[in-house]
Amino acid sequence: MQPSAHVWAAILLATSLEAANPVSFTGEVRPLLTERCYACHNRSNPSGKFSVESVTTLLTGGVSGKAIQPGRPDDSLLVRTITGEKPRMPKTGRPLTADQVAKLRLWIEQGARDDSGGKDKQETWWSLRPLVKPSVPPTAGRTPVDAFIQKSLSEAGLAFSPAADRRTLIRRVYYDLHGLPPTPQDIEDFVKDPAPDAYERLIDRLLDSPRYGERWARHWLDVAHYGDSHGYDKDKPRPNAWPYRDYVIAAFNQDKQYARFIREQIAGDALYPDDPSAFVATGFLAAGPWDFVGHQELREGTTEKDNTRLLDRDDMVATTISTFVSMTAHCARCHNHKFDPIPQTDYYNLQAVFAGIDRANRPFYDDASANRQLQQLLREKREVQLRLQPLLDKVEFATSPEIVDLDSAIQDAGLQIAHIGLPKTPQDAALKSELEVRRERDRKRKTQLVEAIAGPETYASIDRVQAEMKILDERIAALPKPRMVYSGAAFFPRAGTFRPSLQPRPVFVLGRGSLQSPLKPATPGTLSVVPAPFVLPDDSEAGRRAALANWIAHPDNMLTWRSIVNRVWHYHFGAGLVDTPSDFGRMGSKPSHPEMLDWLAVWFRDEAQGSLKQLHRMILRSQVYQQQSARRGDGEKVDAENRLLWRMNITRLDAESVRDSVLSAAGKLDLKMGGPAVQWFSFKDDHSPVYDYARFDPDDPASYRRSVYRFIVRSVPDPFMERLDCPDPSVLTPKRSTTLTAIQALTMMNNPFVVRMAEHLAERLQSSSTSLPLQVREAVRICFGRNPTDAESMAFLAYAKQHGLPNLARLLFNSNEFLFLD
Amino acid sequence: MDRRSFLWNCGGGLGGIALASLLGRDAAAQARPEFSGGLHHQAKAKRVIQLFMSGAASQCDTFDYKPRLIRHAGEKWDPGEKVELFQSNPGVVMPSPWAWKQHGQCGKWVSDLLPHTAGCVDDIAFVHSLMSKSNVHGPATFMQNTGFILPGFPSSGSWISYALGSANNNLPEFVVLPDPRGMPPNGAANWSSGFLPASQQATTIRAGTATPIADLRPPASAQFIGVESERDGLALLNKINRNHAAQRPGDSRLEARIASYEMAARLQLSAPDVLDIRKESAATRELYGLDAEISADMGTRCLVARRLVERGVRFVQVWSGADNGFPRRNWDSHENLAKDHGELGAALDKPVAGLLKDLKSRGLLEDTVVYWTTEFGRMPCSQGSKGRDHNQMGFTAWLAGGGFKGGVSYGATDEWSYKAVENPIYCYDLHATLLHLLGIDHTRLTFRHNGIDRRLTDVHGHIIPELLA
Repeated sequence: MQPSAHVWAAILLATSLEAANPVSFTGEVRPLLTERCYACHNRSNPSGKFSVESVTTLLTGGVSGKAIQPGRPDDSLLVRTITGEKPRMPKTGRPLTADQVAKLRLWIEQGARDDSGGKDKQETWWSLRPLVKPSVPPTAGRTPVDAFIQKSLSEAGLAFSPAADRRTLIRRVYYDLHGLPPTPQDIEDFVKDPAPDAYERLIDRLLDSPRYGERWARHWLDVAHYGDSHGYDKDKPRPNAWPYRDYVIAAFNQDKQYARFIREQIAGDALYPDDPSAFVATGFLAAGPWDFVGHQELREGTTEKDNTRLLDRDDMVATTISTFVSMTAHCARCHNHKFDPIPQTDYYNLQAVFAGIDRANRPFYDDASANRQLQQLLREKREVQLRLQPLLDKVEFATSPEIVDLDSAIQDAGLQIAHIGLPKTPQDAALKSELEVRRERDRKRKTQLVEAIAGPETYASIDRVQAEMKILDERIAALPKPRMVYSGAAFFPRAGTFRPSLQPRPVFVLGRGSLQSPLKPATPGTLSVVPAPFVLPDDSEAGRRAALANWIAHPDNMLTWRSIVNRVWHYHFGAGLVDTPSDFGRMGSKPSHPEMLDWLAVWFRDEAQGSLKQLHRMILRSQVYQQQSARRGDGEKVDAENRLLWRMNITRLDAESVRDSVLSAAGKLDLKMGGPAVQWFSFKDDHSPVYDYARFDPDDPASYRRSVYRFIVRSVPDPFMERLDCPDPSVLTPKRSTTLTAIQALTMMNNPFVVRMAEHLAERLQSSSTSLPLQVREAVRICFGRNPTDAESMAFLAYAKQHGLPNLARLLFNSNEFLFLD
Repeated sequence: MDRRSFLWNCGGGLGGIALASLLGRDAAAQARPEFSGGLHHQAKAKRVIQLFMSGAASQCDTFDYKPRLIRHAGEKWDPGEKVELFQSNPGVVMPSPWAWKQHGQCGKWVSDLLPHTAGCVDDIAFVHSLMSKSNVHGPATFMQNTGFILPGFPSSGSWISYALGSANNNLPEFVVLPDPRGMPPNGAANWSSGFLPASQQATTIRAGTATPIADLRPPASAQFIGVESERDGLALLNKINRNHAAQRPGDSRLEARIASYEMAARLQLSAPDVLDIRKESAATRELYGLDAEISADMGTRCLVARRLVERGVRFVQVWSGADNGFPRRNWDSHENLAKDHGELGAALDKPVAGLLKDLKSRGLLEDTVVYWTTEFGRMPCSQGSKGRDHNQMGFTAWLAGGGFKGGVSYGATDEWSYKAVENPIYCYDLHATLLHLLGIDHTRLTFRHNGIDRRLTDVHGHIIPELLA
């Protein structure tokens, strides 16, 4: 994250050899001060009323006076506090190295020259500048996008590549929008379509198909790190995660306005109480991993418990902020952000937004009025629980030395009983029953002691309040069985030590990110550098999230709109205009086409009104997108990485597209949509459930469903998908890597799924025709979307004759042409 | 490591970069014989075998000798401060059920749980002052593997294979040999490549089973696949792929994928050989404890680990113990430590000692690190009557070979074996030292992910000079 002391030492050592050179404040001194002093001494939090931000503030100093005396290092307070036997500063971490001190001394000796040009800070970073729509360059171009791209191409002395042929184009756009290949018939129809708007109609047709939502939802689930199990130790299944996955698919298919898509996922329950799907949308907040043992088994009141919650909120903050605004707020957990203007306070203020929410199953109905009724009853239950909980806590946390001992004895007996399991010897059986008797006796004794401490009035009160609760429970039980979604939840039934906070938990700004060093209470808030309003309707749990959702979706939040158009661009071209789609900070890359990015962002927000389908059309209709992918000498020379987009990028299919394409070619793809996740493993529940992929039959009907519907296990990845670069579902993945390994080749050759589907493709070919040459031709048309050349026909026919069609099918699945897109 | 991150992150235009790099190999390193030059400086070690005791192996029943536990046996335990335990309230002082003896030239105290390992103490550097940032198995197991208590980070094996590449193009770089009884807490996420390229994933080998490597061969049920169809098919595939690539000149990914099939074929040939331990001598079988039922499995996996590193695999991780369920199948001895640690120790001891002796006699210990670790330690007081609860405040790991100094002990816990008091460290320092011996500067092995140049050692880590030979 930052160069360590070693690296600094090396840098500074190297420079000290050229002592005659003037030391630069912006290049050398400020980075060092930022690393070691800025966390406490900055403008927003000036400990000792002192900030190290600029030469001016150093000269002004703080409560102890001027920090530096230009030309006189020995008289400079700064030098004195960081040197000596036991330097007074920095208060945490190691003292500055001798080289670092020498560097500062030298700078002061040379007169503390300010080379920052009077600017306290560096110029506003590109992503944080207000969004202003630039004018489209006057270059002739099919679309505004083309005009921008062409402008930078001509500046580099380059031009667009010729348009790809229709066969290439239809395959490209099918995979892009559906993650599936076109059928031979689709291809022929398009190639032969004489209408000038054939391509535009094709795009419209693909965007109207539900396959589109299935494909693009998968991208979104990567970014949100969605999974169908909790992860960590035990990795319990999460059987109600899928309604959120279906929500995302539907949102894409319905072309939900992006601002609304944002609001629903963060605070749909609060902002759209009449829309049941908005309840499901908060599955976003719960998409990441969850520490079952920490939440459900650890004892209340321990540091470890608090840490579990801290890290759980951290995941919500990191996911929300990097997904929607492409900033790395999570880097400010232990100190102010080293590179971006995100003070530590901002980070904890964001934690405070999520201070009252956990991840849990939440009941809902698809019918709006039934749902309203249910949610109202749940709100009433929560009100009752607010009165009940303190009473129950009196009993639960009643303690005395004897109770502590009894607790230990009861727990130990439980463990011993579990350890014996099914008794194998009479001694074990005797021991077990003795333990059970003893445990029962201890429990009774404990109950007596607790009753004495809590007092009869507590129990009477509990009975009274529980009677109220019972009425509500009965009313809920009389309703039809609700659906469940694993989502952000502020109220849910207790499980083990996991229970709702009922009120937002207190959140503190933590020194060095440590629970042992609370500095000051955090208040709900967000990135202070963005001028969009953060308005709390009230201080309720849901109100906090609503404020954050509205801040993100606000037209003045420049990050939001830049972020989404860049993500969409990234998936269309295999590379974003900004190549770090979830990091628009100083550690991320800069946009290749900043003006076009801003133009698209404003256009998408205002003219397209947040319609993603409009954005797709804008991009897909461009000449840029329709270029050939072949390399050209002039382009290679000037821009080998193709950042300027003088050609289309060649991409390898992602894991989901590979599997879905194999199914499609085999004629086995089941296009049924939605519902519980399909399990491509044999499942055995246990202390830690067993997810066994080797024992799964690739001809199980579940196997034929699209990959987006698979049950994603966090602890044990699907070996086929993993080897094709499907990311670890616990990692926020804005961008997948593409690797080509021997193990991946083995999987494409030998995985039982591929082998079985090769047989199914062969069966399909045999039923299409009785002539082997025609079967071979059809195989190539299905897998490559074209007719075979004569040489290919001969070679494939000879191979199929000798070794059979299944072997040929398997070979085609393994070819580069099947797996790469031009 | 910017060059490598560039390599993986850019979409094309890789013409100038050697094919080897595309396959996850470090071209620059490959040019040096056996990478002895190291990535950043001269390497002492070339490969690592990590032995992971899942469930938390007790330090005070193995290598951390505290006579005070014997003297105060059965007394109320009072370390003078509030103790927050994972599950229980502190019980009485509980001495180890095993007796302690001094061993080797160095006179190291080792419990009788591990008599064979005790015979190797002069080759071992012990670290007694480890601490963990969590006392919960999942996060703590992540931490020992990846340096972070959160999921989603690359394991040390992935980092090391990412940094050094392979010394053998016929075998994977990073191999995991899980306990056949099941997955440890967090499952395969412990050896995830996290945000590193998927080529740094571990290859799981289930030694001693019919299909030790998934998809190495076609399924037995696929009778249409034979030796000849395979030979002719690969030749034809090669031909059409070459033809396809020729029409798209300049895209080295296409070439890389063609080469990956050649490597796959070589892996098919070399994997069965490396896993076939039948030709090992009777003396070797005896050394690893293969003939005793209790140690046969661990012995087999330790022997396979030796055969793998011998052939150039960079990092082999061997697990002792599965999840924390019942009946107990890992080191998580909350209930009956004498029984559960006793069985696991007996399964472990001879194979591990055998591995150390075997590596030494073959001259491999010189440049192979054997690294024994666990996620945290156990309490010096009893839980219930016969068990021990979790202890994140102080526990033991050890390292041998590859430039680690034999017969030394670094750091210490207090007189109870409760808290690290002398040179307390987290795994960062061990990782930094391990990388150092592998010729890697832990501050310079970075990968940019989500705004942060991530390191195995996060923002921490100091090399421990006392451990270096």
